[in-house]
Amino acid sequence: MLRLGNIRVHLGRFRLRIHRLHVRPGEYRVLLGPTGTGKTVLLETIAGLYAPRQGQIVLNGRDVTRTPPEHRDLGVVYQQYALFPHLQVFDNIAFGLRLRREADSRIRKKVEEMASFLGISHLLARRPGNLSGGECQRTALARALVLRPRLLLLDEPLSALDLLTRDRLRRELQRIHANFGITILHITHDLDEAFFLADRMTVMRNGMLLQEGTPQAVARRPATRFVAELTGTKNFLPATVAADGTIMVREMGPLDPGLMTTPPGAGQGEILLTFPSWAIELGAAAEQGSHWWRGKARVTDIRRTESQVELELARGDAVRLHTTLSRREAEQLPFRPEPGATVRIAIGQNDLHWLPAGEE
Amino acid sequence: MNSFRLLVTGAGLLLLLLLTVPLVNMLVQSEPAILASTLADQEVIASVFLTLRAALWATLAGLLLGVPLAYLLARSEFRGKSIVQGMVDLPVMIPHTAMGVALLMIYGRKFLLGGLFQRLGITFVGTEAGISLAMAYVSMPFLVNAAREGFTAVDPRLEKVARTLGASPWQAFFRVSLPLCRRAILSGAIMMWARGISEFGAVVVLAYHPMVAPILIWERFQSYGLRYARPVAVLLIILCLFVFAGLRWLAARNGREE
Repeated sequence: MLRLGNIRVHLGRFRLRIHRLHVRPGEYRVLLGPTGTGKTVLLETIAGLYAPRQGQIVLNGRDVTRTPPEHRDLGVVYQQYALFPHLQVFDNIAFGLRLRREADSRIRKKVEEMASFLGISHLLARRPGNLSGGECQRTALARALVLRPRLLLLDEPLSALDLLTRDRLRRELQRIHANFGITILHITHDLDEAFFLADRMTVMRNGMLLQEGTPQAVARRPATRFVAELTGTKNFLPATVAADGTIMVREMGPLDPGLMTTPPGAGQGEILLTFPSWAIELGAAAEQGSHWWRGKARVTDIRRTESQVELELARGDAVRLHTTLSRREAEQLPFRPEPGATVRIAIGQNDLHWLPAGEE
Repeated sequence: MNSFRLLVTGAGLLLLLLLTVPLVNMLVQSEPAILASTLADQEVIASVFLTLRAALWATLAGLLLGVPLAYLLARSEFRGKSIVQGMVDLPVMIPHTAMGVALLMIYGRKFLLGGLFQRLGITFVGTEAGISLAMAYVSMPFLVNAAREGFTAVDPRLEKVARTLGASPWQAFFRVSLPLCRRAILSGAIMMWARGISEFGAVVVLAYHPMVAPILIWERFQSYGLRYARPVAVLLIILCLFVFAGLRWLAARNGREE
């Protein structure tokens, strides 16, 4: 469907370097990365709005590297909607159809069908200035989809919306994907969005792609500390690999070699042991089941949200652990979690993963 | 009313007073009989229409050449852009008589461009074309700067989206950027036309004859005194007031409709 090979784009001091990106037909691909990492530049390069210095872009089996945007058969939806403010919603949606010189009756039929699908039929006579954020984004989606492009590029389409609207539109995007069988490349910095929507996810940083896979696979086996942090991992324990392959975790002692081994060739040296926050258990749960480590830790920080309690625990000076409990779980603990309290904890045996230390 | 509001309103009213007193005074002091005879004076009428017409040609040329330059300045980053911007603003800064001399030395019959244009049957010294040329040079910054600001205010992503929807660069410009920038361009064109009508310094060097209204006022003042210069000035002021008030009203109505 979409293949990028060896793409280089220079914009001032910024460099986009994409070694390889392959999006399969009908796939919902999310490109995850922090702000300012070049996600929009990549998306606009695929759209033909920036010309790469080198490399190749293949869309539907056709080399489009030098093809102008108007001949690429794709749609773009931006975070800030980019609706034409001087045109009514109907004319915004009809914009591309009119450029194709379709008959007025066909244009009306297609616009009304698409507006009905997206629930904006009652807005067709309005100007974008009189619409809410959600209505604007539905109009922008309708404008792109009415041309039935084979690839839809979404540039942080939900980031400017309030929580409730964001949730509704997330479901709307799922429905669009299922209904039209369209290939979607969606860029975002929101991990929840990626987990909710993506068939596959690609992590991006500093103009380069770092890792690709299903969201679950990337989150479980991040390639670098940056990917781990971006996908929600907060526990990084410094450890050393001895010559015989034994892993010694600082402040916690040796790790049973049967639980996790470093890959052949990883060699000796410093590594980081990672695991998800739910692998840490407190109180009674810490005394049962199989854990690779049991011991005491000091509560150093507590953050309470509407539904969760997040604890930061310390062991010695070098080790910081993070775990998240529901409010109910926190209430049922045999001790009151307060900064300074010492608690018994245990770390589960599953989902242990290691990263090379010092590699961002 | 708080002290801040009072001070701001007071300063604004004082400035308005300073601006309008000389004009109102001139209108009040005009003798109706002389004003009536001025209205019947063919030389005056011809001069006023020549002024309006020449400024209009200058503005049309400005639209044709200035709008693309404004678009380029708003949308492109290139080396030497600030120099180009400075060159656009230059006519506002230098004395207009100096600009007239500079124009004479390039568009005069014996000089480079003047000679070339003469072969095509166009001369600039002492002609309506010369008047328009002088007006265009000194008033172009008003149009270019207004249009540039207008284009800058249009989100470039609108053009990008238009391209992905099937528009060529021309179609994206004419269907999206230009309609959204229409008010700014219209406002700039009105300012350019107004500045062209009032031009004296550059025109007097390049084309003393046929006489535009500012030169006619000057000439009558020199030859016959204040009493005969004043009615021509009054006539020009009244006409300009009506024309510009009308154009501003049209532009504002256009904006409300959008």
